[in-house]
Amino acid sequence: MHFFSETLNLPDSAFKLLRDLIHQRTGIFFEPGKKELLADKLSPLVIERGFASFMDLYYLLKYDNNEADWRQMIDALSVQETYFWREFDQVQALVDEVVPQWASMHPRQTLRIWSAACASGEEPLSIALALNEARWLERLPIEIIASDASQKALTKARQGVYGGRSFRSLPPKLKEKYFTAVPGSNGRQWRIDEKIHGRIRWQLANLVDEADVAELAAPVIFCRNVFIYFSPESVQNTVQRFFARMPTPGYLFIGASESLFRLTTDFALREIGGAFVYVKS
Amino acid sequence: MNEPALTQKLTSPDEADRYRAVQTLANQGAVSELILALRDESWRVRRDAVNGLARHPDPPGIIVTLLKMLREQHQDIGALNSVIAVMAASNVDVIVPLVELLAGDEADLRIYAALILGHQQDLRATPALLNALDDPDANVRFHAIEALGRLRAAGAVEQLGQLLASGDFFLIFPALEALSRIGEARVASQVVPLLADPLLRAAAVTTLGAVGQTEVVEPLAALLDEPQAPVNEIAAALTAVYDRYDSQFGEGTHIADRTAQAISETGLTRLLDALPNAPAASLPDLARVVGWLEGATTARALAQILSQPAARREVVEALVRHGHHVTDLLITHLQDPDAETRQTVVLALGRIGDPTAVPALIKLLAFDSDLLVPTAGALAQIGDRRAFEPLLELLGHPHAVVRQAVISAINSLGHPEMPARAAHLLQDENPRVRESAARIAGYFGYDECVDLLFAACRDADAAVRQAAVENIVYLEDERVVPTLTAVLGEDEASVRQAAVRALVFVEPRAAWPLLLAALEDDATWVRYFAARVLGQIGFVEAWQPLARLAQADPAFQVRVAAMEGLGALGGVTAVTVLAPFIEAEEPDLARAAVTALGQVAHPAALPPLLSALRHDRPELRLHAISALEQRGGQGTAGALQWTAATDEDESVVQAALTALAELGTAAAVAALVAFTANPARRELCVAALAGLGETQIDWVARGLAHEKTAVRRAVVDALARMKHPYATEQLKQALQDEDTAVRLAAESALAVLGGSSELTIDN
Repeated sequence: MHFFSETLNLPDSAFKLLRDLIHQRTGIFFEPGKKELLADKLSPLVIERGFASFMDLYYLLKYDNNEADWRQMIDALSVQETYFWREFDQVQALVDEVVPQWASMHPRQTLRIWSAACASGEEPLSIALALNEARWLERLPIEIIASDASQKALTKARQGVYGGRSFRSLPPKLKEKYFTAVPGSNGRQWRIDEKIHGRIRWQLANLVDEADVAELAAPVIFCRNVFIYFSPESVQNTVQRFFARMPTPGYLFIGASESLFRLTTDFALREIGGAFVYVKS
Repeated sequence: MNEPALTQKLTSPDEADRYRAVQTLANQGAVSELILALRDESWRVRRDAVNGLARHPDPPGIIVTLLKMLREQHQDIGALNSVIAVMAASNVDVIVPLVELLAGDEADLRIYAALILGHQQDLRATPALLNALDDPDANVRFHAIEALGRLRAAGAVEQLGQLLASGDFFLIFPALEALSRIGEARVASQVVPLLADPLLRAAAVTTLGAVGQTEVVEPLAALLDEPQAPVNEIAAALTAVYDRYDSQFGEGTHIADRTAQAISETGLTRLLDALPNAPAASLPDLARVVGWLEGATTARALAQILSQPAARREVVEALVRHGHHVTDLLITHLQDPDAETRQTVVLALGRIGDPTAVPALIKLLAFDSDLLVPTAGALAQIGDRRAFEPLLELLGHPHAVVRQAVISAINSLGHPEMPARAAHLLQDENPRVRESAARIAGYFGYDECVDLLFAACRDADAAVRQAAVENIVYLEDERVVPTLTAVLGEDEASVRQAAVRALVFVEPRAAWPLLLAALEDDATWVRYFAARVLGQIGFVEAWQPLARLAQADPAFQVRVAAMEGLGALGGVTAVTVLAPFIEAEEPDLARAAVTALGQVAHPAALPPLLSALRHDRPELRLHAISALEQRGGQGTAGALQWTAATDEDESVVQAALTALAELGTAAAVAALVAFTANPARRELCVAALAGLGETQIDWVARGLAHEKTAVRRAVVDALARMKHPYATEQLKQALQDEDTAVRLAAESALAVLGGSSELTIDN
């Protein structure tokens, strides 16, 4: 539903300019039908800045090119709706198939798992919980990195406090085991066990930035529910960057509603433990 | 690597080698090698060969070679698909050889010929495809039907309609699909009997949705009484009929009313039962149809799906139509755990405007920080003064968007205590409260607050000073200009920026020296707004400093603003400054130059704009179209017509057609009429023509004498959609048309127009 766009008009010409600028910088692409959505997301930035039009914001982002302004922009655009145990069959495949295979091949080598668009942190924490339940965290050196382009999302992830909607799929006994109610929240907020939360390295990273991806390269990458917001071109480039930096064998997990089918990619789609995974072999 | 080496690679056993080779060959435009690669066993190699050939569509002999491949290698499915893809994507005229192939001896080749002709978007293929409906081979007939549908061949409607009664399922399904694509309403009566057939029912419903008008509403509604009714498809069909009727005659509600009358209790139950489990894609249509039906049961059912994002808009629209009857129901959903759902409910309550919702919304202000902006908006819409105090509490909120929403809501309440409260709040210890109070006091110009507003221009907090400076200009007070002068000389950049923007409301002679000085300001955004304000107030003496800024300011946005200013000032001198920037490397400068030139009425502005229409970058051509549309004048219609006919970029073509409609001159209208001959442009042109005014009806009606049937048929549609008595009068000419399809369309349109007149009288 749209609120701000009723008062601040986003003309088609300004929409296209802003959309292309955002796409270039973040990979996120707004289809023509999403004009009102973009206007709604960006209106607060226009108002906070004391501007009267979206074109002022466009010039600010493009020509002042201030990192803080872009951070605010990415925060405004980021979608932080996620939950524990989301599309869990892939995490299960990681725990049951990929990790044991790695352990047999490289028993002393650290396995890095990268949650590349972690939002408020439910995905990397689900991975850590599942690995802990299978006792892999004590048997194998595992490093879990969680990154997101939104500072606001990462701040929330670093706090490790979650509300009811985040638990919609998590088995209740795991919630009981790993979470404690935040005092004074009337049971509406829960804090993750510090032993699990502390296993995650949280980092700001933009997937369209070559340097960010290079630094975080890993044999296991979870990049789920991001590509639905990207243009095909951005998906192609991101996947290529993942592939180039990933050791062999490498595993890329993408969302159930996403596919690389139409792209030219060197990954091969495999079914592992009942889940679909893109594999570099 | 040279071509022979690459050709060698094409025979490599390694697919990756062949793939890389074909990519390079595609970039080089190596046609004969790419044709070889069409036979490759790898789909990736074939795909890139097809793309390569389609990018180089007109090399000599390519079609002969492709046809030869089609004849000789149509057993090889991979090669065959590739040939078809190249032919469909190429711009070369393949109609004549394909029509010959369609009359050939070999059934397989006739099938492929029909298939490719369907993708060519060329109506010259229609007679041959109609002949193919009598082909002895059922597969040829099948593909001919599909091809006629793809071509949207209106001339095929009679024969396709006859096929519906043939009893041959193999042909009826494609015929229904083809008729859906063609979209002729007159075929609906032949489709309705198929609703009785359980196998054909769903397809028939979809076709009725695609072609039908009022007469299909009752049969579709009656079908809901059947136990196995395809409920989702029926809802989709009814909404499709609604949308089309609304777009053509502006009377969509007539379809909704007829549906509401026609749906029985059983039908309603089926619709409501389908709502909770409907797939996301079907939910909006279902919600819309349920929303057309009144009653507490339907409202409750709709409220239950408020949490479904797919249908939120439709549910809100429907509930708002129920008005205050659903206020209590909606209030119960303000506790929903999903923030989006709560937000939707708030929005709906605001639109309904029922004061009984105010206490619940006020409660939300205190407890739901995610919803402050929409809640303030809803309270503003309801306009109940009980919200006054709770809203005042939020004037110091840390987020500007919340403060702005709260200020708007307070302003809309018009509370009698506000002047005194504003004076008090202007002295609040919280700077955010003082800032908000300055905006309210300035907006209304309360006498009690004037001195306090000027004092706020010297507040310790920059945001308060900014708000005060922006608002003192609404006061008739001799202190305004000296205060702004002082701010521009001494204050920090954000406040200077606000002062410059405020100068647009000051008497131009007083503003001029301040703006001139602001053009030299160190801060980019002060210069930017100064340039924009100079353009807005149209101060002719400003052209020289603006020209200097446009040409040399270190900040691009300032140069852009200066160009906008120059465009607003106009004249040949502005053209001389702006024209060279069309070739600027920085796209924003080129765009600004084109837009600014569109504001200049002087004839000298036309040549650079025409050159921009031929620019390499499609986005600049789009801006040139907008500029020409805004500017109008001699030569514009011809230029737009040339662009619509020749540009390779679809978005540019569409923009040119839309601009022609906006222009609305006789030449522009004639061009639009002529473009309706192209099936791909027809709908856009008809919609544009239908949107023209009374003075242009004669120009549209001239199209009824056009040599092409398709154009005359389209003009009938356009005149009908105008819904103007004079257009209807002109439409009657088409009753004498030599072509049956045109006459029938005119008759049908006149019948609908007559019906809607009666409706108006009834109402």
